Amino acid sequence: MKEIEFKHKMAAHCESGTVTALLNHGGLEITEPMVFGIASGIFFGYFESSNFPFPMFIVRNKPGSIRKNIAKRLGVKFYTENFKKSQQGIDKLDSLLAEGHPVATQVDFYYMEYLPKYIRTHVNVHFLSIIGKNEKNYLVSDSYHREKAELGAEVLNKARFVGGYMAPKGFLFYPDYIPENIDFNKAIIKGIKKAAHDMIKLPVPFVGVKGIRKFARKVTGWPDLARDIDHLSHEIMKINIFLEDQGTGGAGFRFLYATFLQQAAQRLNDGQLEGMSKRMMAIGDDWRNISYFAAKIGKNRDLGKERLNELSQMINVMADKEQAFFSELYKMVK
Amino acid sequence: MMKEKEAYTKLNLPPMVLYVEKEDGTYGRTESVSYLADHYLDDYFDKRKKWDNDLKEQLDKGEISPVYYYMIMLELGEGDLASRVGISRRRLKKHFKMEAFEKMNLKMLKAYADVFDVPVSNMLHFIVIKEKDQEKLKISYQKSDNPYFTISKIETY
Repeated sequence: MKEIEFKHKMAAHCESGTVTALLNHGGLEITEPMVFGIASGIFFGYFESSNFPFPMFIVRNKPGSIRKNIAKRLGVKFYTENFKKSQQGIDKLDSLLAEGHPVATQVDFYYMEYLPKYIRTHVNVHFLSIIGKNEKNYLVSDSYHREKAELGAEVLNKARFVGGYMAPKGFLFYPDYIPENIDFNKAIIKGIKKAAHDMIKLPVPFVGVKGIRKFARKVTGWPDLARDIDHLSHEIMKINIFLEDQGTGGAGFRFLYATFLQQAAQRLNDGQLEGMSKRMMAIGDDWRNISYFAAKIGKNRDLGKERLNELSQMINVMADKEQAFFSELYKMVK
Repeated sequence: MMKEKEAYTKLNLPPMVLYVEKEDGTYGRTESVSYLADHYLDDYFDKRKKWDNDLKEQLDKGEISPVYYYMIMLELGEGDLASRVGISRRRLKKHFKMEAFEKMNLKMLKAYADVFDVPVSNMLHFIVIKEKDQEKLKISYQKSDNPYFTISKIETY
């Protein structure tokens, strides 16, 4: 196996973890929370679409936005390419590896065979770094796996070139220019401003705080959409997965964002921001209570009207808290 | 506040990164495991087993097609699945029923099998290992140069 020297590290989130690892490899010292925060990663969206088997919510910004926002705010230039023909994408990845570049690529998470089968689902927006290759396998640095892992070339190629919603099309990227002097303070403020704006000001009824309220409203109707009580239980318990397990660092990225705000407060020497980081941590704790509650009522099949109303009410309280939090945050950086 | 000592750290489950409050009051990363996997993984497997049985019963009666079976078991959305196979959602929904499924050509059957990540033959039959033998036996699939032909091997662990 020809392996590029690369520091593998687990991360809370695949895209911010991958971007952080590649920037670190390129010589820029930056933490995952700082990448996540500067890139305005915190978000909320509630979606009903035939592309999903059931209504679902996201707790981060649109896939690809972390890299784009980091490029914009830090002045980093990323080489990016996607492909119409799979062989072109395979050849390009191999030639970049041969030149010694660790390369990030977008894949369908389902095919990451080094992870347990029960956590692998068809999601076309997983990001990881490829750091080596031999005749049969690629060497992968995946933020969700403790060690570097080998993945069959045939499997990785399939994962890169599957069709479907948000098909990866072999998308790959790596940073090919990192400025020597970066104005982090300005980037932090811009990152916070955009995140706060998107949480409270976007005129779209299913994103930001409006999305949280829509989730609260809609969850009481989930029994009508489920095949049976076990299916409903499964979907309710997935609230826990979306908030805690699917690359969130816990509590729907709120703990990760609190860490960013604390690091930002230290860098800017801003006591007010330090206070906001504590508030965000407390908000994360409240989201965690919701995820535990959902797991418990799902397991017990305690999913009557009264219990779902209780869940809905808890989510509405979070909408109030995040409305107040992000409004204040927005004023601070306006 | 979420404290570092409250994080779950069981070693028999895959780790994940959790951000927590450290003892000195700073926030930072620690390794934890999934709360849901730690507490309720059995429940998840029980549910999947029940769906599997229920759907196979419906397959047995000809009420649903294998396309519908795999879509539910893999938790794919209709729009996403149709796009992966390269057909319209309307056509996909017809394939949920045996009347349309039985008219499907081999090429279409293979397109589905590729998306479901199973050999083409598994669109028409299941190999079932008895529960008591599942710890001893496993099924592996060996591809051949012929894209429609797979060798299924039943092997001991």
